Amino acid sequence: MDLQEKLEILADSAKYDASCASSGSNRAGRGTGAAHQSGVCHSWTADGRCVSLLKILMTNECVYDCAYCVNRRTSDSRKAILTPDEIAGLTFEFYKRNYIEGLFLSSGIVVSPDHTMELMLAAVRKLRENYHFNGYVHMKVIPGADQALIDQAGLWADRVSVNIELPSDKSLQLLAPGKTKETVLRPMHRLAQRIAAHKDERRSIKSSPAYAPAGQSTQLIIGATPETDREIIKLSEALYAKMALKRVYYSAFVPIMKDSRLPALREPPLLREHRLYQADWLLRFYGFTADELLDEKHPGLDLNFDPKTVWALNNLDKFPLEVNKASYEEILRVPGIGVTSAQRILRARRAGALKLDDLKKLGVVMKRAVYFVTAGGKYGGVQKDSGDAIKVKLLEHKNPNGQLDLFGQAQPVSEGLEGAVTGQL
Amino acid sequence: MRTYLYDGSFESFLTALSLALERTEECAIAREAGAEAGLFTEFINAGSDPSRAAAARALFEGRGSPESWHHARYAFLSESPGAEDAVLAYARLIKEKGRAADDMLADDRVKSVHALSAAVGGEAHMFKGFVRFTELADKALYARIEPDHNILPLLTGHFRARLGELNWVIHDARRNSAALYFGGRLVYAPLEAARLTPDAKEEEVRALWRHFFKTAAIKERVNPKLQRQNVPLKYRKNLTEFG
Repeated sequence: MDLQEKLEILADSAKYDASCASSGSNRAGRGTGAAHQSGVCHSWTADGRCVSLLKILMTNECVYDCAYCVNRRTSDSRKAILTPDEIAGLTFEFYKRNYIEGLFLSSGIVVSPDHTMELMLAAVRKLRENYHFNGYVHMKVIPGADQALIDQAGLWADRVSVNIELPSDKSLQLLAPGKTKETVLRPMHRLAQRIAAHKDERRSIKSSPAYAPAGQSTQLIIGATPETDREIIKLSEALYAKMALKRVYYSAFVPIMKDSRLPALREPPLLREHRLYQADWLLRFYGFTADELLDEKHPGLDLNFDPKTVWALNNLDKFPLEVNKASYEEILRVPGIGVTSAQRILRARRAGALKLDDLKKLGVVMKRAVYFVTAGGKYGGVQKDSGDAIKVKLLEHKNPNGQLDLFGQAQPVSEGLEGAVTGQL
Repeated sequence: MRTYLYDGSFESFLTALSLALERTEECAIAREAGAEAGLFTEFINAGSDPSRAAAARALFEGRGSPESWHHARYAFLSESPGAEDAVLAYARLIKEKGRAADDMLADDRVKSVHALSAAVGGEAHMFKGFVRFTELADKALYARIEPDHNILPLLTGHFRARLGELNWVIHDARRNSAALYFGGRLVYAPLEAARLTPDAKEEEVRALWRHFFKTAAIKERVNPKLQRQNVPLKYRKNLTEFG
């Protein structure tokens, strides 16, 4: 099998992983390559997703038989494996031409988790040691691999990740026999400890080698199993708090595998995925808690309105907010105001009182914000106290042609403040 | 109206700016080539004076802040129509208000320069991703770009850090200029057309990349509108994967 065919098979099997970030690391040094703190997108594929890394599997062979997975043991797809030399060489050739920021290496399980991890580590080491490559490397950690091998991943990669995939133990048991919550969370917990320990060490010894400087992420598949948005967002909240994850990715289930245990979806639930990303952003950059966004009575995100607007409509007693007086934290909670425009409001009002007309110039999306703010006491919306009246107006704006246009938002490559800006609500 | 002409260089522009700032009446700044004479236009050649340029810089950095200087420089690089006069109005405001000027984000004089600067910064960031090198027979890397703004000077630092000891050229074909990095030294030079001999392996690597790019799209999620938002058509002709 030639390299082109192998690449095609192994890129095809890796593409369902939503992670695309190349941010959070500023590795540099002699040799070739340097990571860029905020990450760089190099292209966007026909589905509008960013290409930042050479995202491939080492092999699509697998000893597991997870129902949702294209690489399951019983699938009859063509199987391929790349050698460490091929992986390192390809990454370097692509990187040199500025096609990519680096490598995203995942894999099916070949022979055993340990054997798989060893081969993956050999590829990344080759890249670092033989090619003196300082670009970005995102490495998947194989659940069930020996702890010593898992520990090594952080020494060579910028980011490490273990995919949870299914948001509950019950779903794992159903769709991923051979995996349990425990097998997934154990390596994640281990990595979280090592990352924290290295951070501490670096504080006192500056020269100590970096350990997964871009931290850890994970992915959840949306729509293959019955978990509610509330369960998913609560899980993410816990992962951010307890595992210090940098990102949780949500991947709308693409119904390519036929299996009686899987739901019969006609298309991937993209809008739901989009709403989950918005809610995730609210947790990470806007100071919201999962309980504020979703409660037991309303466990699903509204598909008509973004989660911040829903929250605001349920909390009309807190609005309208006077932009010349409100705190940064309060302003962040106004629909139509993102991190950047909230910062601009604070800055601009130092220079003089703001009028309603000024807000648009500061980047505020007035067609949403107008119902929730006053400037110098002036209100530009409809009735301030009627959620229904506001809803009607918001829907008019959104569907001028009676069409939903909610997929127009890219998943940002970066996750720092710049990321918050792109994901602005 | 008095219009100061500059030769296209940043130093000459800053010289013109410093001359204009000495006048109290309204003035304009325009590039020599392409300046349009109105009925009452009085053209004055600003020349290029390092000490005047330094004084203009000091106004932004000292009376304003390093941020003001950043915005003025980036807005100049935008090469957008009216950018010179926008920077002049911004400079007058900084002269009057000092560093508080940059807080006046809703003021059109500030907003327009900040917006130009953001457009330039944004395009420069995009091109950190969009530059596509070809490996030549002598192993040097060559890339052709055609950006809207004059971002070449903003890219060189990034690629120096990235490409280590490799030799490279980035050629702005729209402005006929190039940044050349050879043997650890960076030089800017005019460059019209380049005769290139690609490395023997080049076509093979490109084919692999195109293949990867095509495969990476999930067909159930195809969204050309979103793709166009992120990779505007105007940039595609120099991108290997769209060629």
